Amino acid sequence: MSAALLTRPRADWRGGTVLMALLAPILLVNVLTFLAPVINLAMLSFRGSGPGGSIQEGLTTATWTSLLTDSFYWEILLGTVWTSLLITFLTLLCSYPVALWVSRLGARWRNLMMVVCISPLLVSAVVRTYGWMILLGDQGFVPGVIRAMGMTPPRLLFNETGVIIGLTEILMPYMILSLLAGFGKLDRTLEDAAGTLGARPFTVFRRIVLPLSLPGLLLGCLLTFVLAVSSFITPKLLGGGRVVLLATEIYDQAIVTLNWPLASALSILVLVVFGAALAVYGQLSKLVD
Amino acid sequence: MVTMFDRRALLLGAAATGVLAAPWVRTAHAQEKTITLMAYTGIFEERYKAAVVDPFMRANPGIKVNYYGSPNSAQSLGMLRAQKAAPQTNLCIMDASVAKAGTDEQLYDAVDNARLPVLAELNPMAIIPGLAGPAVTFDSAVLLYSAAKVKPAPTSWRELWKPEYKGQVGLPAAPDIVGLALTMVADRLAGGTDFIKDPSKGIALVGEMAPSVQTWDPKPDVYSAIISGGLTLGVGWNARGQLFSSQNPDRLGVTLPEEGSVFQINTLNLVKGAPNNDAALAFMAYALGQEAQKSFTEAMFYAPTNAKTQVSAEALARTAATPERMAKMIDVNWIEVAKVRDGITEQWRRRVINRR
Repeated sequence: MSAALLTRPRADWRGGTVLMALLAPILLVNVLTFLAPVINLAMLSFRGSGPGGSIQEGLTTATWTSLLTDSFYWEILLGTVWTSLLITFLTLLCSYPVALWVSRLGARWRNLMMVVCISPLLVSAVVRTYGWMILLGDQGFVPGVIRAMGMTPPRLLFNETGVIIGLTEILMPYMILSLLAGFGKLDRTLEDAAGTLGARPFTVFRRIVLPLSLPGLLLGCLLTFVLAVSSFITPKLLGGGRVVLLATEIYDQAIVTLNWPLASALSILVLVVFGAALAVYGQLSKLVD
Repeated sequence: MVTMFDRRALLLGAAATGVLAAPWVRTAHAQEKTITLMAYTGIFEERYKAAVVDPFMRANPGIKVNYYGSPNSAQSLGMLRAQKAAPQTNLCIMDASVAKAGTDEQLYDAVDNARLPVLAELNPMAIIPGLAGPAVTFDSAVLLYSAAKVKPAPTSWRELWKPEYKGQVGLPAAPDIVGLALTMVADRLAGGTDFIKDPSKGIALVGEMAPSVQTWDPKPDVYSAIISGGLTLGVGWNARGQLFSSQNPDRLGVTLPEEGSVFQINTLNLVKGAPNNDAALAFMAYALGQEAQKSFTEAMFYAPTNAKTQVSAEALARTAATPERMAKMIDVNWIEVAKVRDGITEQWRRRVINRR
């Protein structure tokens, strides 16, 4: 007993050292590739920007003051959050039935359909976005079908509609994967029991299936929302310059206007949005548990 | 075993030869200087390499030029900023308004006639006060149209405002310089007199055109969008427009409208502190010389900045530098425009792009 007492702290110490040694590489990588650039970004946001995009020496709060007091940027922030929430909702709406159906297939078909569902991820988002440009363009397939039905097609490309359609499809595989992970908790015997007790299918869904799939649903929503907020290529291509979101604004400020301090400040703002999303997710997860 | 022995002997022999030859190999490497030129990617890269870079390397076997393609001037400037502590790029071709920011940040070495005698041959417009590097190409904003759909060829910028083209117009919005160039032209159309002091008339007129615009960000570019039939009218640059039009005469037309246009200037800048800048200066001298200027003008229809360049009549007719076109040019000081660009961009966002 006394020998065990003497040796245990040493073993713990060794275990701690081994743990630290194992964690050190990933900590180092994170410090170098995430923390240091974020700090650099934050510092850059406190530099001044001169005409033509030159970066001025010295620190100033001018960029942050202009960002926080200009209604234009608040509109972009709210527009980005609203558009991303709408995309998340539509992605959930389209993905949930698919994921539920796949989860109920036999093992062989389930694996095959899972591969089918996530196979779009094998194709670059840029290629898929160009695909949507062809489908939604004035002479594209979708307006053609609407015209064939005797209606006048609305403009589907180079506006918010195009961005929402494109991003919803592009983000569906992420949502489906998260939902499938959540459906693992679903026990079919509970549904059968509810059925034998007289519950109608919708009641079974509302009282059993939906509550049990909430953890996966919340994770999918978080993932989709974060990816929608940070999406850049799809809004840039499908928005036709009209849809200004935080990510496209960062690109324009960094690459076109050359206002790096403002681009840095907007990037920090995106991080704040992500932080808020994580906080909401954490609270909702606690409620679900 | 015999094979093994032979192989070993061969390897030993090769190693010994390598060791003995090393000093000479090193000397040969030391004699070859490598420089990096950063300029536009795509068709510009293809044509510039064939017309200027390759002939230069053939004439100067001791200098190797690496061409680094960059999508636009702003990204080139970003790259130069990132390399400021240890520059890897010797020369950079970029738009004059962006080059101003690089000059202000002291990224470039200024060149003068003593270091670069060819500067004396350049058009006076090519030496821009406040910029470290001279102009290497001239271009101008033009009206692009679908040659199949728009007949007869348009002659006025006002074509962009016609209701029959609603939803068929495309151009890159400000802060892209195409958007800025159109604002200057529109300001002139609306009766504005000093674009730098007050661009409001031009912005208001472009705003009236906004509902006709299908996209403010044509992809992959406005020329391809018109060639593919996605757009009917657009605004772009003469050199690229002429090149694509010469390849697709039935699909893309280029016109310099009667109300005039504005020049776009690309400058060639020597990056401060890069290795082998003596070789880079030799390239600058060649690129600004008559031979290279003629060759590139005939390859891509940019107007030469070397005043002594003799260009074929056919190529000259497609450039922005014909006497008739020069007479139509609106006088623009891009350095002054760069100072007000942010304000104009803000106006575009609030009063143009969002208009339906």
